[in-house]
Amino acid sequence: MTAIKLSARPTRSINLLKLVGWLYLGGMYLFLMLPILTLVIFSFENSRFPTLPWTGWTLRWYGDLFRDGRLIQSLGYSLWISPAAAAAATVLGFCAAYVLNRFQFLGKKFLSIVLIIPIIIPPLILGVAFLGLLSRLQLQGKLISIFLTHVVILIPTAIALIGLRLSQMPKDLEEAAWNLGATEWQALWRVVLPWSIPGIAGSWLLAFTFSFDEFVIAWFVSGFKQTLPVAIYTFLGANLTPALNAIGTLIFLISICLLVGVELLLIPILLGQRRSS
Amino acid sequence: MSHPPATRPIATPNERSGLKYIGLAPVVIYNGIFFLLPLLFLIWIGFWSTENYRAIPGFSLDNYIDIFSQLFTRSRYAYALLQTAWVASTTTILAILLCYPFALMLVFGVPERLQRFAVLLAIAPFWSSYILRLYAWQTILNRNGLFNTLLLKLQVIQEPLPIIFTQVATRIGILHYLAPIVILILYLVLRNSDRALLEASRNLGATQWQTFWRVLLPLSKPGIIYSALFGIIISAGDVLSGIVLGGGTGRSIFGPIPLFSTVVLNEYAGTTNLPRTSALATILVILLLVILAAGLKLSDPPRD
Repeated sequence: MTAIKLSARPTRSINLLKLVGWLYLGGMYLFLMLPILTLVIFSFENSRFPTLPWTGWTLRWYGDLFRDGRLIQSLGYSLWISPAAAAAATVLGFCAAYVLNRFQFLGKKFLSIVLIIPIIIPPLILGVAFLGLLSRLQLQGKLISIFLTHVVILIPTAIALIGLRLSQMPKDLEEAAWNLGATEWQALWRVVLPWSIPGIAGSWLLAFTFSFDEFVIAWFVSGFKQTLPVAIYTFLGANLTPALNAIGTLIFLISICLLVGVELLLIPILLGQRRSS
Repeated sequence: MSHPPATRPIATPNERSGLKYIGLAPVVIYNGIFFLLPLLFLIWIGFWSTENYRAIPGFSLDNYIDIFSQLFTRSRYAYALLQTAWVASTTTILAILLCYPFALMLVFGVPERLQRFAVLLAIAPFWSSYILRLYAWQTILNRNGLFNTLLLKLQVIQEPLPIIFTQVATRIGILHYLAPIVILILYLVLRNSDRALLEASRNLGATQWQTFWRVLLPLSKPGIIYSALFGIIISAGDVLSGIVLGGGTGRSIFGPIPLFSTVVLNEYAGTTNLPRTSALATILVILLLVILAAGLKLSDPPRD
């Protein structure tokens, strides 16, 4: 696709407009990046209090983080709940997206709307709702409850993203496989699934991020075993420590890795590059 | 987020394939148990009562009568709702006003080969922890924080600005969460808008401003409405920014009043009164559904 500029006739005023535009772009990027830069920079600041002027470099907050261990323990919980919930949601989402993409049936539109709805209900409401049910089932305060409830909010993104990827698949591809003698399952396994892999991987990544960062539902349904955001929340209330900057920096490192995955998988799908593979 | 409809029904080798049911059953059962059931439970529990700190199943309208009577007398809930409406609507408008030019620059200003990177950079903050970003904003906006220190050093101000624990700070936190989402939506809509129409408009002698106002802006209307819906839902449901940056009862033009979501959370944390909390959450659900329906009706283009 070639870029077509709004400005077909460049003039001096348009150059000024461009300059303002670039300055604006820079300002917004600064706003977007400012908190993350703050976390990273102050995780190495010697003083207990994150204020200027700079008093010197240190690594002791990272040491604190591991010595205290509570945040690291929660990180551990998060690091099994989120990948597992993301995987479960992606599998369920793929199955649903495939059926919605391939079959025509009565109530299909209704069903696809119903399956997307959990994402538009604020987590606060879902948190209260889950607590109500789980306390009846004697399941509240367990790590498994966070997993079970997170899957619900992750399914919509999986359906949407994998569905988007599937909708970009040439319709003849699957039919060609059938014509060449493949059974439905073979075509699904050898043609549709490989085609969907960027969507599957992308939706897992996105789901992982959502779950890893989810606070309110986890706050309501978790007990003493807290996921990382809930543990951080308790730290914010009780004992502020620069170790928070340290864990923030570590999380940011994890998210940079995720971002590379997003760049490779998600953006092509969102931009609809049909002939990417 | 819905799927583009298939252009034509596919000739399957077996029209009565059982695949349909195998594929849908797990997700339907799962969502039935873990989504629909809890929501119905939420509504039901809203009618329970509480005795000696224990929720008693039953049917009473006490919670709702209590909440609604307080709407007009002690007014705690009413003010919280008003505060939420005020903060959510202004934050959403601000988000769109700030992100629209940004998305415009991404599509029309940034060279094609750099666009993917530029978009990635813009949505990067979304990938790091929200609560830690809010903590970082605390560091920035505090009385002795970076922002105030900088302004004092530059002698722009004589006294530190009271930003933290106001709804202004709350808005900054929500805005920072919302911006990558809104930018992405607006970017996709603007990028996919029909270039031929823009060129035609220019060729027919429209100025740049006219092309923007009469062609591009109407074309991007669905994106603006989706962004607004996301903005309202996210900011009305957000708990963290109001507590971490707003300090629970953030000052605003109405005075120091918490957001509705903060009230819901505190109601549960303070009294573990699940029936009352459920009733409050149900009210929020209904209000958001009304807003959502109105928004979707708006985004539906009038038939001609």
